[in-house]
Amino acid sequence: MNVTEHDAERHLIEAAQRDPSRFAELYEANFDRVYAFVARRLPSREEAEDVTAEVFHQALSGIATFEWQGTPFVAWLLGIAVHLIARRWRRATKHPEIPADDLEETGILDQTERQALLAQLVDRLPDDQRHVIRRRFVDQHSIREIAHELGRSEGAIKQLQFRAIENLRDQMRNRHA
Amino acid sequence: MLSPDIEQLDAAISAVLGARAPKIRPEDAQLRALVETASGLHFLPRPEFRARLRADLLAHTSQAPVRRHVFDATFAMHSQLKSRASRDSVLPPLFSTGTSMMPVGGSHLAVSFALHVAALAIVFTSGLWVVKNAPHVRTQIASRLSESVDYILPVASGESRGGGGGGTRDKLPASRGSAPRFANEQLAPPAVVRNESPNLPVDPTVVGPPDLKLPQLGQTGDPMATILNPPSNGTGSGGGIGSGEGGGVGVGTGPGVGEGRGGGIGGGVFRVGGGVSAPHAIYDPDPEYSEQARKAKYQGTVLLWAVIDAEGHPRDLLIARSLGMGLDEKATEAVSKWRFTPAVKDGRPVAVQISIEVVFRLY
Repeated sequence: MNVTEHDAERHLIEAAQRDPSRFAELYEANFDRVYAFVARRLPSREEAEDVTAEVFHQALSGIATFEWQGTPFVAWLLGIAVHLIARRWRRATKHPEIPADDLEETGILDQTERQALLAQLVDRLPDDQRHVIRRRFVDQHSIREIAHELGRSEGAIKQLQFRAIENLRDQMRNRHA
Repeated sequence: MLSPDIEQLDAAISAVLGARAPKIRPEDAQLRALVETASGLHFLPRPEFRARLRADLLAHTSQAPVRRHVFDATFAMHSQLKSRASRDSVLPPLFSTGTSMMPVGGSHLAVSFALHVAALAIVFTSGLWVVKNAPHVRTQIASRLSESVDYILPVASGESRGGGGGGTRDKLPASRGSAPRFANEQLAPPAVVRNESPNLPVDPTVVGPPDLKLPQLGQTGDPMATILNPPSNGTGSGGGIGSGEGGGVGVGTGPGVGEGRGGGIGGGVFRVGGGVSAPHAIYDPDPEYSEQARKAKYQGTVLLWAVIDAEGHPRDLLIARSLGMGLDEKATEAVSKWRFTPAVKDGRPVAVQISIEVVFRLY
């Protein structure tokens, strides 16, 4: 995050502290990162959605008392997420406690950033490719089901899936090059 | 034939989605990179969840000033409670208005109980009122429905399009040509292969408004036929030309031209009713909210007219009742992606015009 982005984020936080309805902008800017972080640490989509929702509700409740100290806002959100996930794990008792310094673990933030970027790139895919990707990976429909739904052949759907993933891989490489 | 890469990638994806290890040869670096990218897609959020959470958070923010006001008013009396509430920082559940700063005391519970009892009493008595005044309620609903009849396409009471067909049970399909002129009555059905010396010579006609004109192709025949020769009256029955029944031209029944029955020209867009079944949506993703409408917390219903073609695709979308704030465009965009099982008439899929209500609600 460069200086301009830092400033822009600080202004957004201050705006949300004055007018909570401006929190929507912070939400949009950070949703993908928070969801990506949470989803990789919980076994089901439903749990990931519960925790993500709780993170943003807690953040909204606490935004008035948030003090800007120069660290990215997402770090605060991920901190809330770590505590919520740890609490969930403790309740389940089968899982070991998540270490408090989880966020400092090498590569965690990079991995979250990559995952968030992937989600944003999916939004920019052509309509038909995006639809196939969401049906296949989010709704977990089979190729046959998607083909039936769209009235196309299974081969055509596999080809769309292939092109979409190739497209995403190339764009991810370009961003990290 | 798909390339092996495409098949291998799909097999690997199926393994990833089934929580199994994909089989990739060590030297196949390209497939490995694609599968790595695909593995990340497993953690994509659902767009509906993202939108719902945003709306939920916005709903909370709109209530925030009210809560602050109530809290300020009671600040003097409950300063100790405020500090305790801040310390405990009890957080709001997802679908509530948030943490209350009011103390949990006997009087509050009593007020809450009384309000709940009052609410239940209203629900119960309103139910009783509806039961006692059922005819009055029905009349009101009927009058409301009649107010909106201009917008909703009514179901056709009878056959919605004209048409006709015929033939003389020939072995060959009807040959291409023009239909004869329209007349109010039919004295002789059209024919490609005619009796050259009839006892009573009468011009052949099809039944329909006499001012209807069809393009003339030189020889008599079915305008929708694909073959020119050899001349044939077609495989239908009852005289006339085509594969239908009756003395008309085409695939329908009766003395008109084209699909449908009873005269006139058919084959266009039908309306539901009169033997035409309604199409059913099999893929209907929700429309997105426009940014402007979301900010304004604007809700309502957009009414569209659409033609659902014989393939089940919507086309010719028209906005019959507009909502504005970008929601008309969002509704049109969403519906154009919908897919339907087509309407059916006489066992065959046909295009129909229907109205579609797209409801925008913020939850």
